[in-house]
Formats: sequence, structure tokens, C-alpha cells
Amino acid sequence: MNHSQPKHFCILAIALSTRGFGFVVLEGQEMFINWGVKTFKRENKNAQSLAQVKKLIAQYQPGTLILEDASSKGSRRASRIRMLTRQISKMAAPLKVSVKLFSREQVMKTFFTDGKGTKHRLAEIMASRFPEQLGLQLPPKRKPWQSEDSRMSIFGAVALAMVFQTKYMSHCRER
Amino acid sequence: MAQFLNYLRSHRKRLALSQEEVAFLLGVQSGASVSRYEQFAREPSLETALAFEAIFQRPASELFGGLYQKIQHEVAARAQSLIHKDQRNPNRRTAHRHQLLAPIASKSLKQI
Repeated sequence: MNHSQPKHFCILAIALSTRGFGFVVLEGQEMFINWGVKTFKRENKNAQSLAQVKKLIAQYQPGTLILEDASSKGSRRASRIRMLTRQISKMAAPLKVSVKLFSREQVMKTFFTDGKGTKHRLAEIMASRFPEQLGLQLPPKRKPWQSEDSRMSIFGAVALAMVFQTKYMSHCRER
Repeated sequence: MAQFLNYLRSHRKRLALSQEEVAFLLGVQSGASVSRYEQFAREPSLETALAFEAIFQRPASELFGGLYQKIQHEVAARAQSLIHKDQRNPNRRTAHRHQLLAPIASKSLKQI
């Protein structure tokens, strides 16, 4: 029995990575609906990522899609990631999902007073804030010769969602 | 606010259980059926819904929030029509029934 889902006040945050992407679906302030990581080993990762994002949008019908602004000043994201960000934004428009982009700088400024912090420190903050959902996902701090754990993108997605919540809440308070 | 049909995936992930493990706890053969429930592709039987309640330690009305909301809305609409029917034939019995049905009809509609 397939049900058509009504529009929900939920957000989908996606953090793109070299191997795929991490995502989180939040309802309201802090209700985790789904979270995880999608990795792709074969070529054409963008097409596969796009298909998976489309699937997530179709299932959860979020009102807002949050991504990292890969084209912001000072961003050092790969051209593939920049292109994928554009493709996802383009795909979301006809689905009536508003897209919000936040730069890495904005994310860091939200969680660190001086705006300087590491990805791992950010992940630790997220894990301590949501221990039930993220506590077990936190990978050990990587050594300089190790590649990044794919689970790190989940924390990136949660951080993006939190930045959106912070901005949205402050906007509501200003009104 | 409209809710999702169910919150099974959220609760399963919170407990760090795999779909196969939940299937084992439910007493079904494979995790595929759990996946179907989670993707809103299938509604569980009463027995399965109660098993989910036992596993996640949450009331079924919370686990299946959207489904509960939908059913509540339908019940409220039926309660309304029963009240209207009763109003055509007022007596002590229908007055008593009205008192009991009014909160079902109004409360349910308020929540939606």
C-alpha cells in the first residue's frame, strides 16, 4: 500500500564528500527522522548521488534542502562537488523544495567563537549534542596519513542543519 | 502539522539495530519487510504494530504518528456525522452520547 505523503515541515541537509554524501532528515527542531551516509565506488558519482538525493526528496518531501555553498569565496571544494551542488539545486527547484546554501565559514562561525575549528571537533560537538543518534557514529580522530572516514559527512550534514535552525530561529525572533 | 506515516527508522537507528535484527525481534523472515514498513510502502498488522511498540518502548500511536493522525481524523469525521444524526432525534440517550462523542469529534479535529 503506497501512501502519498503530505508536505511536512522537515528539512533535508546534505554534506557532499569525495565518496558520496552524508544526510540528515530533521522534523521540527531536533527530531531525527533519518540520517546516514551514501557512498558510491563506481564512476559517475554525481549521477548516482543525484538519483539518491531525488529518492530522499521523494520519500520525505522536505520543505527545505540544505547544502554547503561550494562556490563561496575561499571554498576549496572540487569542481565535481561544485557541479553536483548546482545540479542538486537545479533538481530541487521544480520539486518545490527551497534550497539554502551555507558556506564552511558560516558553519564554523556558528559553532566556534573565533570561527576556527576542525571537522573532528565539529563532529564531537554534534555527537555530544545528539548522543543517542550520533554517539556511535563518531569515528576516531584520524591520523595524518589516514583518509577521512565516510561517516564524517553525517556530522557535516547535521552541522548544516543546525546552522539553518539557528538562522531560522533568530529570523523568527527578529520578527 | 502533518506527521510522517511512521517513525520506525528513526527509532531503529536510535537503538543501533539493523533491519535484520528488528525482523528477528518481530519474528519475520527478513529485513525486507521492515524496510517496506519504514518506507511507508506497507502497513503492519495489529500484531506487528504491537511488536514494534514492545521493541521501541513507545506507544504505537507515536510510532505510527501519521497513520494515527489519519485514522483519528476519519474517526472524528464519523463522530461528527453521528452527532448530527442524533441531533435530529433528541432524547436522554442521544444527549448522553453527544457528551461522550463531542470531545472525540472536536479534540481530534483540533489536533490535525
